[in-house]
Amino acid sequence: MKNRLILPAIIGVLLSYSAVYAKVDLVTLPKRETVQLTIYNSADLTLVRETRDLTLKKGTNRLQFSWANTLIDPTSLDMLPKLKGKEIDILDLTFPPRARNLGVWSVESRMSGDVPVEIAYLTSGLSWRAFYMGTLSKNEKTMRLKGYVRVTNNSGEDYEQAQIRVIVGKINLIDRIADLARRKYAYGRPGPSPVVRPAPQADRAAGMSEVKHKLMRVEKSMMARPKEIKKEGLSEYFLYTIEGTETVPHGWSRRLPSFDVKEIPVVNLYKFEQERYGNQVMRFLSFKNDKAHKLGDTPIPGGTLKAFRDVGKEGRLSYEGKSRFKYIPLDEDVELNLGPVANVIVKPVLMDYKTDRYLFDGKGNISGWDEIRVFEVSVKNTRAIPVKVEIRQNFKTASWEMEKAGDFGAYEKVDLDTVKFTLKLGVRETKTFRYTLTMHHGKRAE
Amino acid sequence: MKGKSRIYSLLVLTVSFIVFAAPVHARIKLVALPEREKTIIRLDNPNATLIEEERVLTLQKGINKVDFSWKGVSIDADSIRLNVLTHPYKAILLGVGYPPNEAALVWEIHCDEAFEVTVRISYLLSNIDRMITYKGIADKAETHMNLKSFLVLRNFSGEDFEKASVFLDDNLSFEQSVSHEETRQLLFLNKRGISIEKGWTFDAGKLPWDPEKLDINVGIPVSYRIKNIKNSGLGTYALYDGKVRVFQEDGHKGTIFLGEDKAGLVPVGETMKIYIGDSRDIVVTQRKMQEKRINVRRNNKNRVVLYDTDELIKATAENFKDRPAILTMIEHITDQWDMAECNMKYKKKDAYTLEFEIELPAHGKKELSLHYNRRNLR
Repeated sequence: MKNRLILPAIIGVLLSYSAVYAKVDLVTLPKRETVQLTIYNSADLTLVRETRDLTLKKGTNRLQFSWANTLIDPTSLDMLPKLKGKEIDILDLTFPPRARNLGVWSVESRMSGDVPVEIAYLTSGLSWRAFYMGTLSKNEKTMRLKGYVRVTNNSGEDYEQAQIRVIVGKINLIDRIADLARRKYAYGRPGPSPVVRPAPQADRAAGMSEVKHKLMRVEKSMMARPKEIKKEGLSEYFLYTIEGTETVPHGWSRRLPSFDVKEIPVVNLYKFEQERYGNQVMRFLSFKNDKAHKLGDTPIPGGTLKAFRDVGKEGRLSYEGKSRFKYIPLDEDVELNLGPVANVIVKPVLMDYKTDRYLFDGKGNISGWDEIRVFEVSVKNTRAIPVKVEIRQNFKTASWEMEKAGDFGAYEKVDLDTVKFTLKLGVRETKTFRYTLTMHHGKRAE
Repeated sequence: MKGKSRIYSLLVLTVSFIVFAAPVHARIKLVALPEREKTIIRLDNPNATLIEEERVLTLQKGINKVDFSWKGVSIDADSIRLNVLTHPYKAILLGVGYPPNEAALVWEIHCDEAFEVTVRISYLLSNIDRMITYKGIADKAETHMNLKSFLVLRNFSGEDFEKASVFLDDNLSFEQSVSHEETRQLLFLNKRGISIEKGWTFDAGKLPWDPEKLDINVGIPVSYRIKNIKNSGLGTYALYDGKVRVFQEDGHKGTIFLGEDKAGLVPVGETMKIYIGDSRDIVVTQRKMQEKRINVRRNNKNRVVLYDTDELIKATAENFKDRPAILTMIEHITDQWDMAECNMKYKKKDAYTLEFEIELPAHGKKELSLHYNRRNLR
């Protein structure tokens, strides 16, 4: 972690109460030993854990911690001795008057000597997102899927040689960490609060050469192979731990490889549903997050996938489209929407329309009738690969009957007013089927 | 308290005595300030903070005027009370006066002889309060939690308090100094190994039924439940309302942050429910498979006046996790209704709400089939 921004931890022996505010009793500045960042993506939130070696004296010690120009939530500050915990009590944490971004821990020690402590807090300004690149094989039966994580640091702090972990999951937050970080007083204040203007951002330009120097130093110590990411489930979340450490200065991002799986079997799935997509046919890449598809170790975080296709000429690629997808649990089916296409055509045509079976009440008025529509649906695959086509029809009424004829594939009633036809079409094949839909109205619907 | 040392914040107590009859309007403040012997800050009411301070007054024979004034602080003048602790029958409080255009009041105390008395002055002071926060660290199995609770004392009253007794309730107090504009966070509860229960809740009245149709994940709310009872490791005091931040051991000597919630006051015997986040590894897809009118009744004009419905709902709950989960599924049926057939047991929470406890095995799936009739609809 940084030297440029102010995050000093200063320890001193309490001489008197007033000395706390006079800051005359500060004796050492221990440096950070390790830093760990656990970055969330469902909220602007990072859990920072750092260890430092403190030198304590018997009696009451005071540890001052300040965080100017950062986005640390002071209500989250916590300190824990990693050793000799029974001899050390954290008495309290004080946010002194007329001092911003500063806290003082009172630490009662029954021993003197060095003690490693962990200081943990939540900060805003670090983020990560997942993105993916898929490359379809020439016959589009398999796809190589590469996942990446991009970590961005806008926290106001340089994180040097930090272990980086990212969390997939949606946490519940009562307050935004950035709002807590910008408050004038650590826990706010009772009564009406004065309006606080955000602190001006420090000029970063002056530090750029130093940052570049740091990065060059890190690059020299880089491993000669891509880093591995350890994945594990915790509670409702997934934790991805990136091997080794990373340096992410303020304002910089780092792209980190997440996984690389070759030859995932995929199905070219085409969907037609007028209520959702209009008259367009949408192309999907379908697979499953399971072992059979060479995946299934962890859920796949939501993100954007850019799909390419290997055109076989000197490794050249064709761009097929992009899909933004949501979190995919283990064993869940995946359908990546690559957008509308014109090379698979679904055309439902109304071939006949009539009303019939009228009912009349005692006064001779119409009390019920049937509406009968005959549709002919042609499904055409103009592609040089086999495809699967899913057609959904919504009827807007629960009282209906259907008769089907022709090559309609697999039929399924999805819910009370929706049906689904699933057809498999070979290379440049066309299939046609008919269905007669009878919708009941009025007394005929009872 | 060290109010006397602050320029902008004064709580001045003076005693004057009247040996001879003096004009009422000529208030004389001559006697030296008596030191505060003891100060108590009571924070048991979250809406107002009561200050109680004890002072020793030297009273003279006759009518004494005890002048209490303040500056730079906000005191509810109607809340000020004086209680004579020593010689209560010898020092008689005759009356209380409020001087014009002053933040002050004057007690008139009659004594038969001169003596020292200890008095307690109580008042409600603004802009000093407390918050309660919790930090819980759940174990990896999510069955137990180490729970810490902190008192956050925020003093923006305009007054410094030195070595005051701070009372959170009748049984819980500690000595603390706190200056104006100072905030102090103090640990007051530290319990290890508290039993917790984890639960998932799908409320069909609040969450979308068909997640497949949405571009975003539908999260199933996840909660921890902590019973404030002896068996859980608690059950001695009420748990105060406050923000709860929950972490979990990560198995690598560290923690991850699971989420936070605002908990209400939890009396002994009651349960604290902490909503930590949403699960995307439990997916509920609910669809209405049938809805038709039956038993249609008509009037003489052949108009429908009454009918029943025949409805079928199917809900599939899938657990993509590698651990079993207990899903609480809440279904709502409006109007008068009868259950025709249901393949799972349910608890009727009220006339229109059904609650199912569904045990989902790891990587398992269960389907709820709810076939009911709504009756006598118009």
